[in-house]
Amino acid sequence: MSDAPAPTHQSKRLDMRELACTRLFNEVPCYISVQDRDFRIVEANSKVTEEFGDRISEFCYSVFKGRAERCPECPVARTFEDGREHTSEEKVFDRRGLPHDMLVNTKPLLDHTGRIVAVMELFTDITVNKELQNRLHDSLMRFHTMFDRVPCYISVQDQDFRILEANSLFKENFGDRLGGYCYEIYKKRGDRCPVCPVAQTFEDGMVHSSEEVVIGNDGSEVNVLVYTSPIMDPRGNIVSVIEMSADITEVRRLQDRLTTLGQLVGGIAHSIKNVLEGLRGGVYVANLGFKNKNEEDIRTGWEMVQRNLDKISAMIMDMLYCAKERTPRRLPVSITSVAEESIELFRTRAGESNVSLKSDLAENIDTILADPKDIHSLLSNLITNAIDACCSDENEEKEHRVDLRVFQEDKQVVIEVKDNGIGMDRDTKSKLFNTLYSTKGTFGTGLGLLVSHKVATEHGGTISVESAPGEGAVFTVRLPVGAG
Amino acid sequence: MQAATETKKILVVDDEADVRTHLTRFLQENGFQTTDAGDGVKAMEAVKKDRPDLITLDMAMPNKSGVKFYREIKEDPELSSIPVIVVTGVTGFGGKSDDFKRFLETRKQVPPPDGFVAKPVEHEELLALVNKLI
Repeated sequence: MSDAPAPTHQSKRLDMRELACTRLFNEVPCYISVQDRDFRIVEANSKVTEEFGDRISEFCYSVFKGRAERCPECPVARTFEDGREHTSEEKVFDRRGLPHDMLVNTKPLLDHTGRIVAVMELFTDITVNKELQNRLHDSLMRFHTMFDRVPCYISVQDQDFRILEANSLFKENFGDRLGGYCYEIYKKRGDRCPVCPVAQTFEDGMVHSSEEVVIGNDGSEVNVLVYTSPIMDPRGNIVSVIEMSADITEVRRLQDRLTTLGQLVGGIAHSIKNVLEGLRGGVYVANLGFKNKNEEDIRTGWEMVQRNLDKISAMIMDMLYCAKERTPRRLPVSITSVAEESIELFRTRAGESNVSLKSDLAENIDTILADPKDIHSLLSNLITNAIDACCSDENEEKEHRVDLRVFQEDKQVVIEVKDNGIGMDRDTKSKLFNTLYSTKGTFGTGLGLLVSHKVATEHGGTISVESAPGEGAVFTVRLPVGAG
Repeated sequence: MQAATETKKILVVDDEADVRTHLTRFLQENGFQTTDAGDGVKAMEAVKKDRPDLITLDMAMPNKSGVKFYREIKEDPELSSIPVIVVTGVTGFGGKSDDFKRFLETRKQVPPPDGFVAKPVEHEELLALVNKLI
């Protein structure tokens, strides 16, 4: 028989509360430990024991972090110091050495006098959240890197065509001008473009594309292929439009080269047909002469054959000259003599075309070191072009003429070929010495001026042109005296 | 009254002297009388002076292009009946002066030329065309 007094209602309540606290302490889904002022663990819940072992009376820094001394930033120490609660994120290591990211809260535990006797530390495992956070951060970084580094100009614009965001390449080429108007930044315009893919996307929510010419910070024109796409809010409203522009300037340049290559092929084909026609004609006339025993036909036919063989040889030489690098064979050359020969050579052709061919060749000009065949080819091309420019001019009131001037300026011999023919515009002038550019459509090969340019530069000189539509042209070649 | 076998006169227009020599000698050998001109201006003078029965015409020529000369001939009521054969090296990739033919056919003011012969000239083709037209 027990003498123990029956528990009172009060003591029963206290017992129940203690039991509940113990269960809560052990079963709460977080780690709880209590440390004294020396950072020794005086109490720990079962979750701590499971994950870190039964480490009562060991230092918390050793148990949770495997350290030999206390942590420099310790929330427990701070709570001991100021009696307040503190929160921090800590990386701890479980008994297997696996890391956990923890959100740590510290609370002071007071005795009946209000003195802090211990600090309770609650750890919430946020490893999964932290990993998601890191992944989100990595995704954002990747997105920003792609946005920034993608090799095209990207901007995000609002309904008023203001730039809200732009990538690095855009800022590099058009300036860091967030908030500015697209048309001002891209095209240096005062108002919006009449046909605008961004506006079209705002209107219909579809992807639009167009080809545009925009102006960079340095004033250079850039050909771009533009694509626009809507950016929508969660309710499907278009809030902005992303515009991606790829620089296709080089593609356009190559297309131009292909066009001129096509002209070259057309020109060469036409020239070859004419030569073939001449050769066939020569053989036919010579054969007639043999058949009819007519010496004049035989002579005429063979002259035709000879002339056309010379023509095709010259054409092939021009093509080879343009196609490969070479070092000119240099001899002392009198430009005046070569110029006189060239004038004689073209006098008949000029006369047949009703073009007056004149020359003004200064005396006592120094010789230059050059390949005489090259200089002859340069002069022939310039004179042929000048005569052609006169023939192409349909102004019947003009008396067409070509003037060849040769003179010396300091240490340079200057060759000037001037005509009053059809002339050319700025665009044509800018393309003139480019590879294979012909203004004669299918009637020119584009080789002539390319050869002239190559001869001038290979001899250390320059070639330039002054011209306006309807006012003829002046080609000026400058070659260094005695050098080359 | 003209004899039925009267020699027909053909004007050969081309800026290349060798082409003119070839075509004139070929046509002469085949019983035609020929004259020639090296550009559009001289060709128009020859047409007015000699009144040829047929013209062979190159397209690309100095002074006055073949196209311009052709239009002037066809717009002149006294000359428009003279048949014209275009003889040219300017052809599309399909051959037979496609580009020029298309160009002329898109200009409805004047009728298209009576024939086209591509350079280098096939003798039989040219002769057949000439004999068909005059």
